[in-house]
Amino acid sequence: MSLQLKNVDKSFKTDKVLQDISLSVDSGETLVLFGPSGAGKTVLLRLIAGVIEPDGGEIWVNGVNMDGVEPEDRGIGMAFQNFALFPHMDAAANIAAPLTARRQSKAVMAATVASVAKLLKIDHVLHHKPKELSNGQKQRTALARALAGTPSVLLLDDPLRNVDAKLRFEMRLELPRLLKDQNATVIYVTQDYKEAMALGRRIAVMNRHGIQQLGTPEDIYLRPANIEIARLFGDPVINLLDVVPERGPEGVLVQLSDCPVKLIGHAAMIGRACTLGLRPESLHFVAEGSAGAIPVDVETETPLNEKTVTLAITLRGREIMVSRPAGADGPGSGKAWLRVDAAAALLFDRATGLRIDPAPRLESVT
Amino acid sequence: MSEPLLRLVSVDKFYGPIDRGVHAVQNIDMSVQRSEIIALLGSSGCGKTSTLRMIAGFEEVSRGKILLSGREVQGLPPVKRNVAMAFEGYSLYPTVTVRDNIAFALKVARLPETEVAARVGHVSQMLEITDILDRFPFSISGGQQQRASLARALVREADLHLLDEPLGQLEPQLRTLLRGRIKHYIKERGLTAILVTHDQTEANALADRIAVMEGGSLQQFASPSEIKERPANLFTGTFVGEPPMNVFPATVSAGEGRLRFDLEGGLELTYAEADFAPEVRARMLAKRDVIIGVRPYAVRRAATGAAARVIANQWLGDQSHIAASFAGKSIVLVEHDRAAVVEGQDIAVAIQPADLHVFDPASGRAISHGHVLA
Repeated sequence: MSLQLKNVDKSFKTDKVLQDISLSVDSGETLVLFGPSGAGKTVLLRLIAGVIEPDGGEIWVNGVNMDGVEPEDRGIGMAFQNFALFPHMDAAANIAAPLTARRQSKAVMAATVASVAKLLKIDHVLHHKPKELSNGQKQRTALARALAGTPSVLLLDDPLRNVDAKLRFEMRLELPRLLKDQNATVIYVTQDYKEAMALGRRIAVMNRHGIQQLGTPEDIYLRPANIEIARLFGDPVINLLDVVPERGPEGVLVQLSDCPVKLIGHAAMIGRACTLGLRPESLHFVAEGSAGAIPVDVETETPLNEKTVTLAITLRGREIMVSRPAGADGPGSGKAWLRVDAAAALLFDRATGLRIDPAPRLESVT
Repeated sequence: MSEPLLRLVSVDKFYGPIDRGVHAVQNIDMSVQRSEIIALLGSSGCGKTSTLRMIAGFEEVSRGKILLSGREVQGLPPVKRNVAMAFEGYSLYPTVTVRDNIAFALKVARLPETEVAARVGHVSQMLEITDILDRFPFSISGGQQQRASLARALVREADLHLLDEPLGQLEPQLRTLLRGRIKHYIKERGLTAILVTHDQTEANALADRIAVMEGGSLQQFASPSEIKERPANLFTGTFVGEPPMNVFPATVSAGEGRLRFDLEGGLELTYAEADFAPEVRARMLAKRDVIIGVRPYAVRRAATGAAARVIANQWLGDQSHIAASFAGKSIVLVEHDRAAVVEGQDIAVAIQPADLHVFDPASGRAISHGHVLA
């Protein structure tokens, strides 16, 4: 089942929450809504569910305009971060709740509950009340309830938020297969960029009442629309350095730590105030005097689990974070040299914050 | 080693009557050297905050001793212990500006005004709060209050700095940068600090040694690399590490110069006997049933190896997380380049003997790490 939003607006009193939202989700697609708190993600879900009405615009589910259609008649399932389980009912009854409303036979209901519970590995706690379940089991029960109704559209509002890191990781790996088996069209809300990249075929980045960028994880990570989005994806956060591109002997370059660093393309930005975005993993420690390397002082080295993060300082006192796979050779302390991967460098217009496409190349304009 | 700055000797904490109330902290022994950074790490309810509060003097010690520079302090009020604190609930003075909050202890110590201004300026620059120095605590955000409180603690000279979830409320983008700066600041001044956190990245990033706690007791107290390479038990092994360590039950047998681990589903891992020290082999063979563990970044795809089928391949920008069905469960691999494998693809995985952790399934205790005994 497909889902379309056409020019949807929503305000609460004088507070504009969503402005002119248009979005199309394909049948069977998982679309992630990602953004900081207050961006309007949950409001958008509630509009789709029919719990609240838009001020303007239209919501279509599988070619039908939902205007005036009651929430229970929309064929939409939901699971929220606070579980919202019925406390007096056991897990099995909670999962069966959407089926009970449909007056299905007891045998059919029991079979559906059993199969969903098995899928989510909660079949051994089906007769426990919510208070006897761990947070992870509650979260799976809420998800099972949403899946049991075999909805054509599934809305998941940060369902992994309240579970511990280990289970969150496991669920993140399991969810795509689960959702695919359901063949549902899914809108998944999260504030965790890793979850967004792992689960979404496409990600809609929401901020300031609207969708700032809509694209695949690759689009968003490698070609973020603006500085804000570049900062929201990646850990450690992208390095942002003020630069003014200049014309060099072989193309465009910027000064970093008093050394020239070549850029690819970007001739149009020569002489203009820009911000250079360098992902920590696109910087590499190299031997002293390597071609194109810039000198830095290593301030601290932080070994994490799967990578090591270095905080380095340029000759101009600017901080740069560098990450490398755990086990790879590091600079130790004191003076070190960094090579910038020019192909991965991002350039933003400092005035607008928008990313500049590297083309046209210098060769084509000179 | 010199006389430790701080010693906890058989410390217990009961909420309610001793031996009958809730046993929140159980018989903890711990020594902290001068200029060390220590992290108390665990999930909620593990006893880490109770331990920190006893060191600070906010919580009575039910049993045992706490010695600071060799002097018993468990009977002393917080102000007599010469510790600086950044605690949740140990809030900023509401009637004075952020600047005066940070400067307070320095003024009490009668430092010259220029010195006070310089130190306050430096610490607030480090924590990115120079723009709110003239504001009052009620008018700043939770994250800013947290940094102001941290600045007030770090700017002071004290025997010990106690920090409770110091960066918990900050946006993730700022957190990584501030961790690096704070560590540099503490090390440059030779301060001794104990921080409580539930975030293992924070513990790994800041601490010289991590005290892993669970169920009120200390599970392991060691450097981050020691905990990573030589987890004392199954709890530490699977709690510290992201993504979590892969673990599988296995049956050990030996023959023809090989050591063999049989896993569920007919899978086997075999190694040359010489890959394990004789005493390791003897212990494993005596146990027969063990649990083997391997970290996700130590599992490699290989031309030949144990069969696995890809369930998911998730690219996170700077690394790929691959899950594959393996031995009746799933195994997780981390690769730093973008992996091209797709769902349903058959792969072979190899685990080097040096990366194999073996645990006793009954006690959970580690038997061996790689070649050697735990």
